[in-house]
Amino acid sequence: MPNMMRTRWLPVLMLALSLLAAGAPTPARGQGGSVTLNLVSWSYGVEIVRDNIGKFQQRYPGVTVNYNDFSWATYHDAMVARFVSKTPTDVLYSSDHWLQEWAAAGWIVPVDEQFPQVRQYLTEYSPFVREALTYKGRIYGTPYYADTFIFVYNTDHLQQAGLATPPATLEELTRQAETIKAKGIAEFPIVLGWGQQDPFSIESFTSLVFAQRNGSLFDKDLTPTFKAPGSAAEKVVTWAADALGSRKVLSPTSLQAANVDQIRALQSGAASFGIIPSYSLAVLNDPGQTQLAGKFKIGLMPGESHATVGFIRFYAISSQVPRRGKEAMTAAWSFVDYFGGKTDGEYRVTKRWSLEKGLGFAQTALFADKDIRAAFGKWADVDMLQKQAQLARAKEGMTPYYGTWDVFSRAELHKAYLGQQKPAETLGNMAKKWEELKAKAK
Amino acid sequence: MTRRALAATAPTARPGSRAGERCYPYATVLPVMLVVALFTVYPLIYCVHLSLHENVLTRPLDHDFVGLQNFREVITGYYFWRSLCSTALFASMAVLAVTLYGLGTALLLNQAVLGSALLKVVVLLPWAIPAVISGIIWRWIFDGDYGVLNGLLLVTGVVRRYVPWMSHTVTARLCMVVAHVWKQGPLAAVFLLAALQVIPPELHDAAHIDGAGRWDGFRFVTLPYLKATLALVLIYETIVAIATFDLVYVMTGGGPADATAIIGWYAYTEIFRFLNLGHGAALAIILGVALLGLVLVYLRALGSEET
Repeated sequence: MPNMMRTRWLPVLMLALSLLAAGAPTPARGQGGSVTLNLVSWSYGVEIVRDNIGKFQQRYPGVTVNYNDFSWATYHDAMVARFVSKTPTDVLYSSDHWLQEWAAAGWIVPVDEQFPQVRQYLTEYSPFVREALTYKGRIYGTPYYADTFIFVYNTDHLQQAGLATPPATLEELTRQAETIKAKGIAEFPIVLGWGQQDPFSIESFTSLVFAQRNGSLFDKDLTPTFKAPGSAAEKVVTWAADALGSRKVLSPTSLQAANVDQIRALQSGAASFGIIPSYSLAVLNDPGQTQLAGKFKIGLMPGESHATVGFIRFYAISSQVPRRGKEAMTAAWSFVDYFGGKTDGEYRVTKRWSLEKGLGFAQTALFADKDIRAAFGKWADVDMLQKQAQLARAKEGMTPYYGTWDVFSRAELHKAYLGQQKPAETLGNMAKKWEELKAKAK
Repeated sequence: MTRRALAATAPTARPGSRAGERCYPYATVLPVMLVVALFTVYPLIYCVHLSLHENVLTRPLDHDFVGLQNFREVITGYYFWRSLCSTALFASMAVLAVTLYGLGTALLLNQAVLGSALLKVVVLLPWAIPAVISGIIWRWIFDGDYGVLNGLLLVTGVVRRYVPWMSHTVTARLCMVVAHVWKQGPLAAVFLLAALQVIPPELHDAAHIDGAGRWDGFRFVTLPYLKATLALVLIYETIVAIATFDLVYVMTGGGPADATAIIGWYAYTEIFRFLNLGHGAALAIILGVALLGLVLVYLRALGSEET
């Protein structure tokens, strides 16, 4: 009988042990090295990332990197889930959209507190990059890439329509689009990546606002200026609603399009004008991807000031790392420094991204780099690219609640574009939401 | 056999092992109970706790008890009533369409035709495909730039140019309903087919002899037999439609504007994008209670039908 009892208890014991084993934490130390880092990024150039990780591990044999990636459109939500559930995450990609939100939530840590040497890079960055990497005076990482939103046009379409130069203002853009439409060259000559799921959409919209006279969204006290009658934002929203609704020159697919969909529409010749992050021009003019390669050029952002949004995506360190101890923190800094800083006196990884994928950079001096000029020259007018970059500004209203306001605004803007409500009403709602979030944050 | 004899033949167990035997059933049930508590009861309690406290992720140190404030803020918020209307619209269209599709398919499959066994498997396939995958398939089908639907309509001359289905509020809602029906319809069809197959054929024969046509046969013989199953389908599909989230996530992201931002999506947005766990939990509880109420109404209706 005792034997039988033991046999009965055995499965219970085994189940309990297996549950304990399943719940055991992932070891922080890897097999190949003394510290394991969990890297999370969005899915872009994954093979290059893996190769860079290999090179990093060769240089730092004591560090092993585990790598996970998520799509750009769902990255924010996936990261929120990871942070809240405390899924092991050590180094990660982040964006200036989310820096303040993630820092305020305590999910990422300032790098310069323990590694003040990160500040040595600041002088080499464009002003908008310095601003975008900083929260409460602290630096939160090193740049993965920094880029600007540019206005692009199909030279063939303009030539066929008898247009000598690209549009300089929004009014001119509408006129040129109407000419192209009237001549049957493109049914909807303008396409934009204004789908609600794409975090790029607010940056694309803001670029157009910045390009207008007095183009601004907030004042220094973070009070919304966009709701004022006749504001640059109202001009842009009114223009978009008109282009989509009455004149039918803005493609309706813009409201569901992500940046990649916009690129496809341009590559197929279905559209003539678009607003894209500048690295996407490398894809547009890639002969391996489209027969229209070489036909796309940069025009300054349509508007009186031609200003645009400069943005940054960066390598950040999760707040889980300091809790793991000094060794892990040093390894994380090595990673962030290797990927976004200098190795043997040069920005090796940054330069690789620029050469192979056309990604922009935070370091203004790289515009003079011979290799980069040659590589960029294959798909863009580098001087023009630099000219637009010099007019770039960081997004305004960067606060812990910007992300919430951004998501709210994307839906509100759609209502105005679709004619469901007047532009002033949309902007009023956006301002109200902003004030509500601002009041709660105090 | 006397009691003494029985006692003599009984195995002699030590007091310790007797206690072990008494504990054994509890010990074997305990892991299951723990799992149920861990995955059902604890989340529920935690959800209620969240809904009664301030829980904004960007203010990690503020977790004050706020009573029903989260519920008040959610209900008086900008999106609540809009999302409720969108949910009611979507659910009513989806439930009606799924039920009709299920009924039609079940009636067709109930005919003894060549290959009907294979057809039954094929019809069920969409149900076996994960909702996210089916959402992606339908997003591609409806795509305004390269969607296969546009291609077909253009080739057959139905449309003159590609239609951006997902960029207009009305068509975006319809696209969602179509995708939902494709995914959920097969299950309804299987339920109804099972019910159809237990209807005695003599009843139809008798109705036919009495001069009933196909419609009368359906109305007076088939439908009464299907009532209970139809009620079950209605309950289940209403719950599924109201709690739909994955299709919105994959296909529309709640847009264009907030046309497809149904309440499940709104709760997701509050948590993962607005980072307000208190609001999200309050919404989840409101949604749960509303669904429970609806189920009770349906069950009461079903009960009265059965008596």
